[in-house]
Amino acid sequence: MPRRALALVLVAALALLAAAPALAQAPNLEAAKKEGKVVWYTSLALPSAEKVAKLFEAAYPGIKVEVHRTGSQRILQRVMQELQANIKNADVVHTSDAGHFVLLKEKKLLARYVPKGVEGFPAGFKDQDGYYFGLRATVNVIAYNTQKVSAAEAPKTWKDLLDPKWKGKLVTAHPGYSGVIATHVLALVHLYGWEYFQALAKNNLMLVQSAVDPSGTVASGERPVAVNGGEYTFYQIKKKGNPVEIVYPKEGVPLVVSPTAITVFAPHPNAARLFTDFSFTKEVQQVMADSEGLYTGHPEVKYPADKPKLGELKLLAPDADELEKRSEEIKKRFVEFFGA
Amino acid sequence: MPGITLRGLGKRYGGVAALDNLSLDVRPGELVALLGPSGCGKTTTLRLVAGFLKPDTGEIRVGERLLSSPASVVPPERRRMAMIFQSYALWPHMTVAQNVGYGLRFQRGVARAERARRVAGMLKVARLDGLEARYPGELSGGQQQRVAVARALVVEPEILLLDEPLSNLDANLREEMRFEIRRLHEAFHITTLYVTHDQAEAMVISDRIAVLNRGRLAQVGTADALFEAPRTRFVAEFIGKTNVVEGVALSGDTIVRDGLRLRVAGGGLAAGARVAVSIRPHLIALVAPAVGGADALRGTVKRVAFLGDGVDYEVEVAGADLTLRVAAPTSPRLRPGEAVGLRIDPAACVRLAEDDAPGAS
Amino acid sequence: MERRGAALAGLDRALPVWAAAALVLVFLMALPLGWLAHMSVTAERGGFTLGHYTAVFADPALQRALWNTVVLAFWVGLVSVAVGAPLAWLTARTDVPGRGLIRGLVLASFVTPPFLGAFAWVMLAGPNAGYLNRLWRSVTGAEAPLVNIFSMPGLIFVVAVYTFPYVYIMVANTLALIASDVEEAAAMLGAGRLAVALTITFPMVLPALVSGFILSVLQALALFGSPAILALPAGFHTVTTQIWSLFQFPPKVEMAAAFSVPLLLATVVLLYLQKRLLGRRGYAAVGGKGGQRRVIPLGPWRYPALGACLVVMACAIFLPYGMLAKAAFSRAWAQPLTWGNLTLGNFAFTFFEYSATRAAIVNTLELGFLTATVGAALVGLLAYIASRRLVLGHQVVAFLALVPVVIPGVVLAVALFIAYTRPPFVLYGTLWILFVAYLTKEMPVGYAQSDATFRGIPPDLEEAGRILGAGRLRVLRDITAPLARSGVIAAWCFIFIGVIRELSASIILFTPNTKVMSVVLFDLKEEGQFGAIAVLGLVMLALTFATVTLVQAALGRDVLGARD
Repeated sequence: MPRRALALVLVAALALLAAAPALAQAPNLEAAKKEGKVVWYTSLALPSAEKVAKLFEAAYPGIKVEVHRTGSQRILQRVMQELQANIKNADVVHTSDAGHFVLLKEKKLLARYVPKGVEGFPAGFKDQDGYYFGLRATVNVIAYNTQKVSAAEAPKTWKDLLDPKWKGKLVTAHPGYSGVIATHVLALVHLYGWEYFQALAKNNLMLVQSAVDPSGTVASGERPVAVNGGEYTFYQIKKKGNPVEIVYPKEGVPLVVSPTAITVFAPHPNAARLFTDFSFTKEVQQVMADSEGLYTGHPEVKYPADKPKLGELKLLAPDADELEKRSEEIKKRFVEFFGA
Repeated sequence: MPGITLRGLGKRYGGVAALDNLSLDVRPGELVALLGPSGCGKTTTLRLVAGFLKPDTGEIRVGERLLSSPASVVPPERRRMAMIFQSYALWPHMTVAQNVGYGLRFQRGVARAERARRVAGMLKVARLDGLEARYPGELSGGQQQRVAVARALVVEPEILLLDEPLSNLDANLREEMRFEIRRLHEAFHITTLYVTHDQAEAMVISDRIAVLNRGRLAQVGTADALFEAPRTRFVAEFIGKTNVVEGVALSGDTIVRDGLRLRVAGGGLAAGARVAVSIRPHLIALVAPAVGGADALRGTVKRVAFLGDGVDYEVEVAGADLTLRVAAPTSPRLRPGEAVGLRIDPAACVRLAEDDAPGAS
Repeated sequence: MERRGAALAGLDRALPVWAAAALVLVFLMALPLGWLAHMSVTAERGGFTLGHYTAVFADPALQRALWNTVVLAFWVGLVSVAVGAPLAWLTARTDVPGRGLIRGLVLASFVTPPFLGAFAWVMLAGPNAGYLNRLWRSVTGAEAPLVNIFSMPGLIFVVAVYTFPYVYIMVANTLALIASDVEEAAAMLGAGRLAVALTITFPMVLPALVSGFILSVLQALALFGSPAILALPAGFHTVTTQIWSLFQFPPKVEMAAAFSVPLLLATVVLLYLQKRLLGRRGYAAVGGKGGQRRVIPLGPWRYPALGACLVVMACAIFLPYGMLAKAAFSRAWAQPLTWGNLTLGNFAFTFFEYSATRAAIVNTLELGFLTATVGAALVGLLAYIASRRLVLGHQVVAFLALVPVVIPGVVLAVALFIAYTRPPFVLYGTLWILFVAYLTKEMPVGYAQSDATFRGIPPDLEEAGRILGAGRLRVLRDITAPLARSGVIAAWCFIFIGVIRELSASIILFTPNTKVMSVVLFDLKEEGQFGAIAVLGLVMLALTFATVTLVQAALGRDVLGARD
């Protein structure tokens, strides 16, 4: 059936052609300069995000980065709310909830773009269809204030946190705000079920919003132990000389890969592609590892000696699709147990 | 110098008539006081004349100019009037000279130098010279009042309107200012409407008085005429003190009340009709109880009030449920409980018409 | 006295103005509130439903939020009365030293954005890291904290220290109007001091007291910032934070709309009660000349009384402001202020590294100037129309201008969001939606001020100009405008202060390009960036106090407004 075969080839070719511009469109520097700026909705911790922006602005004078930093869930909410009002504002969207990208892709809100230099990244950092890529990764850990808690009595495992002796001493961030924490909750639900959180809630946790916030809370001693939070935030605050120590529970640490993508409606598409390419360069990826204490997918990045390599950790990596599907359930049950 | 003509003027607020069918002529150069208790419609009348209100019925003319009718109202600024307010309404952010000179800004053909000259002249007349640069807040009550007067007169208005201008002054100053205003009127002869609730003030200041009651004109006339021949009980009681005696006409010139008979001058009463008469206290003579006579009554002194220049008695009339007030000289002095005779001249009994306003007492 | 005239001859010419004002008011309120009501009873696929209401009120989490709000509001009202009334009495009637200072500090607490106070109290009384608690531990060696600000009592406390001025103002102004002779009249009849206080003074102040209580309750009901900062970490919601969280992804706008209605109704009922209370006995008894107010000597109690006042002020002003200042200049706010901990880095970060700050300050100032200018002009016009009875229906104008008082900021924001994210007016995403929100929200304050201004200018003054030959507009220019100027400036400032501190509506209506200072502060809070919060907070306070100074200069009296 040659004719059918031909038709198939044609269809495939058309599909390729349709997809091709997105794939082939290398960033045009001139056009990007004309656009003048790139609008970045990001959940990367504020000082880190501003640092990346400054690096980009130094590398490409004339193109400004507008950083809009808030929690992962707030970013998704903003994007959807703005679309509803027909506002096209965001060029590049970056959150720590991989589920968001499943959703956005499904709703055809992402532009297909494979950034330069992601070939060598591990599979967990790449969308097979080429819509989004992991910009950074971190793991959820336990952390404690060394002035309030000795290394001996510090919790070693997730289960240790259920001990009543921690009543009133724990802090958690919120899955309704942070993608890092949503991933964390799902991973532990896989491990121990919802009963774990039901038991944990009995210890009267303090609720903060961002996955960054537990580090500050532990450093100030407001609560001596954090039951979750981005490992990089603890690492940074420890580097600044705060009395904070990190525990990598042996049951495994929830891995959070935070993807980035360009929106299909990006008002500054060239600048967006330029910025996306830039953020995957070894330079920026190395910065994230060095000064921010993040993990990345870049194979050549060197990590500080005082941090475990990703390979040395037992990683718990929930599936992005599942994260997307169960996101309502995660928030609802969390609120049910913890009150707000 | 034009006069003011009000014809059939009416004004309602919601369903309530504030003014009902008022007609009044103010002759050129005349000062007419609008007198009445609060709520009688006198201020409404003044504000209608000023053009702040639009009449529901009737019209207002000054000379031959029609100023107000339900169809159209010439705005206040084009009426060539001036007004003195109860509060004086001096502008606190302007000096005395600026206050007085403000109205001249709107008079064509008055040059700046001429303006200054007229202001200075008026300030002198009002005994305000030396205070030009003061602000109203820095003046005494009497001075403020004179600024208000000066501000109104300097524009040489055709019509002057005064809204209880003396009510904010203390008693002594008020007395003094009554004569001051009368003096100014005699000097300038501006056609003037003067609103007041104080009958003594109206009597001193005005050429004629228009008494208003419940939105209607009760009577208009000179002070003498109103006092001596009040038309209604309201007017009789509002202008000066009086005794109102109600009875039934026995014949053309006699009324009876219980055992009391009173002769009324003029005659013409319809036998059997209910009649009210006003008898001024000072027109009742106290006589010895034994002295008889056709007009003599007998009674008992109930109460005595010494007023300095006279004595006020309350006398209970024998044979009738009636107490009369009598004004008498300080001597001879009677005591409570003493028997006394009363003589009332038939001419002192003024027959009163029913009040116009429904329900008036 | 005869009544002042209705239409000043010339209804026709004023008609377009009246129509325009009415239109503006409809645009500001009827449209959003109409949408709010509509949305709350519209099913997802269209058609009428009460499902959102049943869903809202059947949900145990939302029931808890409702109950929490009731508890919060009630206690805030009580604490405000317990603190505000004695303070008012002390400063209005006794010889307690430093009365002017205390009054000034009450004013400061009145204009302090409550959420800044909440931030500061987190640093002061967080159960473990809080300054006061660490002090307590180091002094007593205790294990347990002295106070835990992340709790219902903590929240009540922090809200009340910025709400009691409402009671203070009502009571102090009433006391200032009650002449001592009414009390002395009772004393002459044989009443002892206590009897006078109980039978004369207290009943006369009671309407003001209850009124202050209700105003405090309303504040607590409508507040978003403080519960968001203190209740959420403690794991409970109030109605306002619940409405806000219903807006998080995936947004449940219908539920938020349905949940807004009880808040709206509660506010309407409470304000109605307050009006009736003030209307019935009011301050009618307070007239009369020779209103001499004799000072009550406290004797040996003078300094203890001052001490009590200062304790209140420490909670409202000294401690929080000191804490913010310290946090602004330290690397780690929880550590002692040593040379090593001293830094200007927070300023550098806030103004130069964090790109949102400067844009937010610009937005805030733009909105502040715009809203205050348009608002002052609008309320000036409305108040003039109403006070001079220039048009038929002037009472309606006055009523509509005051209506937004009953709309809590969060509810207003939900309503505006629904109304202006769809044609014909797509304002969401622009500063205009914030402008509309602020204009609506601040209108009653500005209107009340303007109304007082024009009531303070007797119509006689204008009529005196008219009769001497000046036209209506000329009178407006020569007489009314110069006399109204300071009052209009004050209205401008009140609106401006209201705008720069506004959070509860902004938090729902902002987009990344239209962030304002309060929203940035809230963002920073979610990241725990206390240094930057402190810096930005100080900027906000500086702006506020500069504006307050301007009002005082314009009015020639303090903004708490006792008429001495």
